[in-house]
Amino acid sequence: MGWRWLVRMRTALMLLGVLALMTAVATVVPQEPNVPTTVRSWRLGEEGPGATVSAVLDWVGAFDVYGSPAFLALLLALFLSLTACLIPRIRAWIRLVRRSKPPVVKTVGGSDITASFQTDAAPADVHAAAAKLLGGRVWRIRRHDPEAEGGPLDASSGARSAPSQVAAEKGLWSREGGSLLFHLSFYVLLAAIVFGQLLTFEGQRGVVERDRGFADTAISYWNYQPGRWFSEADHAGWRLELDEFEIDWIRDPLAPGAGQPTTFRSTVTITPADGEPFQDVVEGNQPLTVDGFKIHQLDWGYAPRVEVEVDGQMVYDDLLTAVAADGGGFRSAVKAPAADPDVGLEVFFYPFAPDGDGGPSLTGAPWDEAPLLVVRQWRGDLQLGATQQTVNELDTSGLESEGGAFLRPGDEVVVEGVTIRFPELRRWVGFQVSSRPQIPWLLVGSALLVAGLIPALYAYRRRVWVMAVRPPGQQRTLVTVFGRAFQRPEKFEEEHGDLVTELIRMVGVPPDDTTDPDDRAPRSGADPAAAARDSATEVMPR
Amino acid sequence: MTPTELADLSRVLYSPVTLSLYLAAAFVYLYALTTTVGRREERERGMRARKVGLVLAVAGIGTHIAHEIVRGLAQERLPLGNMFEVTSLMALVGVLTGFIYMQVIRKRPELNGFVLLGGALVLASALLMYSEPGPLMPILDTWWRTFHVSLLVAAMGIFAAGFVFNSLYLLRDTGELAVARERERQLEGSTVGAASAGDLDVADETSGIGGRTIDRLDATVDDGRDHDAEYRAALRAGVSVPRLVIGTFLGTSLVSWVFVYSAATLAEGLTRFLTINLVMVAAALIARWFVPLLPPTATLDGIAHRTIAFAFVMWTVGTIAGAMWAEQSWGRFWGWDPKETGAFLTWVAYAGYLHARATKGVKGRGAAWIGVWSFVVLMGTYLIANYVIVGLHSYAGL
Ligand code: HEM
Repeated sequence: MGWRWLVRMRTALMLLGVLALMTAVATVVPQEPNVPTTVRSWRLGEEGPGATVSAVLDWVGAFDVYGSPAFLALLLALFLSLTACLIPRIRAWIRLVRRSKPPVVKTVGGSDITASFQTDAAPADVHAAAAKLLGGRVWRIRRHDPEAEGGPLDASSGARSAPSQVAAEKGLWSREGGSLLFHLSFYVLLAAIVFGQLLTFEGQRGVVERDRGFADTAISYWNYQPGRWFSEADHAGWRLELDEFEIDWIRDPLAPGAGQPTTFRSTVTITPADGEPFQDVVEGNQPLTVDGFKIHQLDWGYAPRVEVEVDGQMVYDDLLTAVAADGGGFRSAVKAPAADPDVGLEVFFYPFAPDGDGGPSLTGAPWDEAPLLVVRQWRGDLQLGATQQTVNELDTSGLESEGGAFLRPGDEVVVEGVTIRFPELRRWVGFQVSSRPQIPWLLVGSALLVAGLIPALYAYRRRVWVMAVRPPGQQRTLVTVFGRAFQRPEKFEEEHGDLVTELIRMVGVPPDDTTDPDDRAPRSGADPAAAARDSATEVMPR
Repeated sequence: MTPTELADLSRVLYSPVTLSLYLAAAFVYLYALTTTVGRREERERGMRARKVGLVLAVAGIGTHIAHEIVRGLAQERLPLGNMFEVTSLMALVGVLTGFIYMQVIRKRPELNGFVLLGGALVLASALLMYSEPGPLMPILDTWWRTFHVSLLVAAMGIFAAGFVFNSLYLLRDTGELAVARERERQLEGSTVGAASAGDLDVADETSGIGGRTIDRLDATVDDGRDHDAEYRAALRAGVSVPRLVIGTFLGTSLVSWVFVYSAATLAEGLTRFLTINLVMVAAALIARWFVPLLPPTATLDGIAHRTIAFAFVMWTVGTIAGAMWAEQSWGRFWGWDPKETGAFLTWVAYAGYLHARATKGVKGRGAAWIGVWSFVVLMGTYLIANYVIVGLHSYAGL
C-alpha cells in the first residue's frame, strides 16, 4: 500500500473491478432508496432468498450499496488513485507539450513502415516541401541539416552524424491530453454531485382539480427532502392551482397497446410570489420551471368528493386523493374524528364498473365511464396520531365493522345511521417540485468527459521522417518516407501512403521513373501491428 | 396496406428472409475463408464465393432495414419500443458496422463470416422476445428517448461485434500458445536446444503478441511433409474441445438463465435455455475449426479494440443522454434504477477493458477476457433489468 501502490495502473483496474462488483450487487439486490417495499418484504422473507440471507445482506449493506460506508471508501480510494496517477501524468504532459521534439534518426527502424521514390528536385527542396506538407497538417516538425548548420547545434547525442532529414510527430499531446481531460472531468462530476446533494430540494404534493392548490413553502409538501444546505428561506413562495387534468388511453381492447395511456396533461395556474397569475401546462416530458423550481407530474388518481353526516351533523366533506391499487381500483380512506364514536371509511373507487347481471362488474379499465364507489364503514377509535398511517390507509385495529355500500355519483346511502354521499368526481395530480442547481455543472462535466474521451481513444501518436539524399555524381534524389505509430497502426499505414502520394505530387517524379505512379502504396517494412504491441504505456523517448 | 398487412410483411422480412440471408452469407464467407490455404483454383473459387457472400450480406442488410421501416410504418413510430425491437436493431447495427468496418475500412472481408454469424445469432435470439407492433407509452415517447435508446442500442450491436473478435482472438491465441508450448517442450528434449532457442527470438519479430513464436521454424526442412497443414492442425488441436464446450455452455448460462426465469412454463424456459446454450456451443466449435485460418492475434486484438472503443464512446454519450431524458421526464437525472445501474456497470466493465489494454501484464489475453466478461455483463444487465426486475424503465409490451 501507499503512494506507489496507488499510482499503479493495476490498482486502478482492481478498484474499477470492485466498483463493478458493488454495482452488480446493486443490480440484483433491491435497493432501499428505490423500492423500500420490496426491501421490506425481502427482510420479512416474503420475497427474495429468505429472511436469513436478507439479514446477511443487510449486515453487509447490500440493500443500500450506494449509501454504504464501503462504497464511500471505494469512491475515496478511486479518487486517491486517480489523483496519484494524474499528478505525474499532468506534469509529464506539460513538459511534453512545451519541450518535446521529434528525434533525429540515422536510418529506417526495424518495424517502420517505409516507402521511397526518386525525384529530380534537390534534397533541400524535398525537405522544404516535406516540412510544408507536414506543417500544414499540424505535425510538430524538426528540420535537421548538419551541412547547412555545420556545427554541434543539436545537443542530442549522435544527431550530428545523422543525415539531413525532416522529423515530425503528431498526436502526442492530443491523445494524452484527451485522456487527462477525461479523467479530470470526474472531479467536476463528483463535485457537482456532492454539492448538488447538499443544495438540492425535492418535494411532492398532490393537488385536486379546481381545488385549493398549494404554495411553495416547507410545510405544504406531503413529502419533503431538502439537502442539508437548502433552507426554508430558499423557497420561492409561488402558488400552484390545478385547473384541469387530461388523461386518455387506447380504449379499444383489441387495438395494439390497449389500455396504455396516450395523454397526460395538467393545465395549471401559477401565481409567482410577486407577479400576476398565469396559466401553463405540465406534460409527461415537459416539466414547468417556475423561479428555478422544476414541476413534474409524478402520479395521478381520482378524487371523489365524499360527505359523511351523523345525526344531521356534517362530520366530513372533502375530496379524497385515491391512489391506484391492484386490479384497476383506486384506494383511499375517510377519517372523521368529529363524530362520536369516530367514523372511518375504507374507500375503493372503480372508474369503469358498469351494471351487470348480479350488480356492478369491475372491469379494471381506468377511464371513468361508469364510476363506482365502494365503502366499508368502521366505527371506534381511529387512533389518529397514535399510530403511523397514511392519508389513504385506515388503521382498523381499534375499529368495528359496520357494513358497506356501493355508490354512483350523486348517490346517498345510509349505513347504520351514518349518511354517506358521493356528490362529484374530480381527478388529482401528484406534482414533484425540485430545485437542482448542480445540473449545469453536471452538463459541463459530461461535456468535458466526452470531449476528452474522443481524442483519448482516437488520436494516435506517430512519427514520420523524410530523408532526401542525392548520392555524389547522381542526377536523381532518393527520397525515403518512413515512420511508425504507437497506436492504431492500420490507420497510420493509410496516412503514410497519403503523405507519400502528396509529397510526390509536390516535388514531382521524373517521367521515366520506374515506379508506377499508380502503385505507390507503401511497402510495409514489418508487421505494422508489432509497433502497436507494446506502445500503449511506452514512454516516448525525447 | 393496412397496419396488419404491414405487420405481417415486417415479420416475414425478419424471419425467414433476413435470418436466412445472414446465415447463408455467413456460411458462404466461412467457406471462402477455408479456401485461403488451398491451391490456386480453390482460392479462385473462394474469391468468387466472397462475391456471392457480399451479395447475400448486402441483401440481408437490405431486407433487415426494410423490416425496420415496414414495422415502423405498421405502428407509426420508431421501432425502438420493446425488447424485440431493441434486439433486432442491435443485430442490424452490429452487422452493418462490422460489415462496413471489415469490408471498407480494414479491408478484411474474409472475416465477414463471423460478423454475419454473430448477427444471425442476435437476430434469432430476438425472436424469443417477439412482440406484435404497437404504440408506445406517451411517457416514453420523446426526442431524448429516441436519441438515448438508439445510441445505446447501436453501441450494444457494436459491442457484440467486439465480443466476436475478442473471442476469436482468445481462440487463436490459445492455439498459438499451445503450439509454442509444444515446440518448447520438443526443443528442451533435443540436442540443438540452445541454437533453436535463438531462432525463436528471431521468429518472434513476425509473430503476434507477446514473447513467443508462431513461425513455422522448420517449414524449410524438406522432408516431404506438409508442414503448413501440420501447423494448422496443431493450432486447431491447441484449443481443447471439452474445455471450449463446457466453458461456452457455462458462460452462456450466466445470461440465458433469465429465459428460464421469465418463461411461462418451466419446460418452455428450459427449452429456450438449452437452445441458446447449444447454439452458442455450436458457434464456438465452428469458430474453433477456423482458428488456423484466422489472421494474426495482433490484428484480431486491434479490431476488437477499435470496435469496443467506438462503442464505448457511443455508450458514454447515450448514457448521458439518458440522464438528460430522466431529468426531463421524471425530474431526477439519476436514480440507480436497475437499468441505470446496468448501464453504469457495463460502462465500468468496458472502461476496465480499456484500462487493461494499457496495463502491463494484463494486456493481451487478460484484456480480452475482461472484454468478453464485459459483454456478459452487458447482455446480463439488459435481460435482467427487463425480465427480472421491473423498474421505471420497463418497456411497453415486453
Ligand atoms: C482509479 C482511478 C483511475 C486511474 C488511476 C486511471 C488511469 C488511467 C491511465 C493511466 C490511462 C492511460 C492509459 C493509456 O496510456 O492509454 C487511463 C485511460 C483511460 N481511463 Fe482511466 N483511470 C482511472 C479511472 C478511470 C475510470 C473510473 C474510468 C471510467 C469508467 C476510466 C476510463 C478510462 C478510459 C476510457 C481510458 C482510455 C483508455 C485508452 O487510452 O485506451 N478511468 N486511465
